[in-house]
Amino acid sequence: MGSQDNSALASNAFLTDKSAKVFVAGHRGLVGAAIVRKLTQLGFTNLILRSHAELDLTRQSDVEAFFASEKPEYVIVAAAKVGGIHANNTYPADFIGINLQIQTNVIDSAYRNGTKKLLFLGSSCIYPKFAPQPIPEDALLTGPLEPTNEWYAIAKIAGIKMCQAYRIQYKWDAISGMPTNLYGPHDNFHPENSHVLPALMRRFHEAKINGAKEVVVWGTGSPLREFLHVDDLADAVVFMMEKYSGLEHLNVGSGKEVTIKELAELMKEAVGFEGDLVWDTTKPDGTPRKLMDSSKLASIGWTPKISLRDGLVDTYKWYLENYKQ
Amino acid sequence: MGSQDNSALASNAFLADKSAKVFVAGHRGLVGAAIVRKLTQLGFTNLILRSHAELDLTRQSDVEAFFASEKPEYVIVAAAKVGGIHANNTYPADFIGINLQIQTNVIDSAYRNGTKKLLFLGSSCIYPKFAPQPIPEDALLTGPLEPTNEWYAIAKIAGIKMCQAYRIQYKWDAISGMPTNLYGPHDNFHPENSHVLPALMRRFHEAKINGANEVVVWGTGSPLREFLHVDDLADAVVFMMEKYSGLEHLNVGSGKEVTIKELAELMKEVVGFEGALVWDTTKPDGTPRKLMDSSKLASIGWTPKISLKDGLVDTYKWYLENYKQ
Repeated sequence: MGSQDNSALASNAFLTDKSAKVFVAGHRGLVGAAIVRKLTQLGFTNLILRSHAELDLTRQSDVEAFFASEKPEYVIVAAAKVGGIHANNTYPADFIGINLQIQTNVIDSAYRNGTKKLLFLGSSCIYPKFAPQPIPEDALLTGPLEPTNEWYAIAKIAGIKMCQAYRIQYKWDAISGMPTNLYGPHDNFHPENSHVLPALMRRFHEAKINGAKEVVVWGTGSPLREFLHVDDLADAVVFMMEKYSGLEHLNVGSGKEVTIKELAELMKEAVGFEGDLVWDTTKPDGTPRKLMDSSKLASIGWTPKISLRDGLVDTYKWYLENYKQ
Repeated sequence: MGSQDNSALASNAFLADKSAKVFVAGHRGLVGAAIVRKLTQLGFTNLILRSHAELDLTRQSDVEAFFASEKPEYVIVAAAKVGGIHANNTYPADFIGINLQIQTNVIDSAYRNGTKKLLFLGSSCIYPKFAPQPIPEDALLTGPLEPTNEWYAIAKIAGIKMCQAYRIQYKWDAISGMPTNLYGPHDNFHPENSHVLPALMRRFHEAKINGANEVVVWGTGSPLREFLHVDDLADAVVFMMEKYSGLEHLNVGSGKEVTIKELAELMKEVVGFEGALVWDTTKPDGTPRKLMDSSKLASIGWTPKISLKDGLVDTYKWYLENYKQ
């Protein structure tokens, strides 16, 4: 699984035939919706999309029948059971079981029905809790996982390994991409279980609307985090479908870190909250640093385009126009 | 997942009702056949057994229908796609995919149909390649796997994690046992892909039958290995079903190491080959040492009963009476 070599570069047909059938599993989620936007923008005319009610990906026979009938040429697996720390801790069986079922069904049926290429998406939580920072791809399975999301992580690791195994045994083009922390339209802004970026956006927005004097944020603001706008991820997905055919999974990050303090200050500005930003330093900070090493993807020619500032403005605009409380 | 505590001890009903339905998945394999022998010996009268032709465990709907119809009270998962190094390297998709399907189907259906207790079996290859020796349970996921069996290993690790996740979310009694190298009746004696112990047995037997002068064995004979007779494993399975209800998987080993040289000399004696045993020291030895730490299981009261010598005698007797080339 060592160094990058040119045999991993696909001179693929992905962008050549925009009428090819592309199945985007999970098209209603943060990631899937962004991929559909991107493909539509690029002129793809034959996107195969199924809601959960139309196609339950945990049902093996239904997935097999769907693939036998549709035979999509390309498959992007953005469907998963996702959630925050509390959900993972409370429903571990769902987080490992449902994700294993979805992945195993889709990967196997795609192979058996002539899909030319499949991209499997995971997340940075596949890596060991104490991975070196920035986190390179080969940190995978070198140490214990973060216990709060080990159920989801094990499922995603199994998905990466399934793609590799199918590539080796069948010489089939399956690749995996592992994005960093994502944000953007269609994110989860729920007051209790959203991630830090959308949570901050919602809190500053509500403080502005309510005329509050201040917003209090936990910790010192010093931890470093990486964020990627989901439209950049969609762009990377298209790039990988066109250009990458390797065994190893690829990290998809922005490579740019910000402190939580910088994030909060940018967010305050993007939302237009004019009160005070106050730090409750009696509360915990969390992991000091989390940054993916995306140099492999950069070395084959992809880097993100959306700055954090522009991305926050774009996301807040979406929030104002679309988000129903 | 720390220290052993008494809440992990089940005062179970397993041995109390020998008419309870016990589904032994994989009853025709080395492990499953031994478990069936043991349960039959103990007086169990209601063993639910299905051959692959009768029930394909990779088919979700078939497994669901089977469980809905039979509703076994106890389930022992000894069914798996297994094989040696060559098979794992050539068919990695089968080794990860089939095992994930079997496990996910059986564990989920067992839970949903009222099974009281499930035992999931794996193997020592779940541990990191460079795990400390003897290998304790908490070595799991602390380092990279042995590449030649990582596909099977990932599937088995996912199975352990599924059992843990179902226990946490549903308070359901699922446990996992990880045996060391097993041998005994119904083992694989194939000349090319069997493990070292049955391979040696077959080679000494054929040398005896053919009147050969010598048997040449690769390496120096110095590597240390641990072996457990499969009837001891079956005994441990019953013990765990009766006595163990913990979150952590348990190692099931003999705790006794022998050098390959000691194994070969014992085997020569048991088989009755009177020619020379010669070591080809130009050939590789393999891993210097592989021993599981089974002290946790020993601390709750189980140790093996079958010495290596007695076990080899028993196995050779079976070989002479049953093995068809």
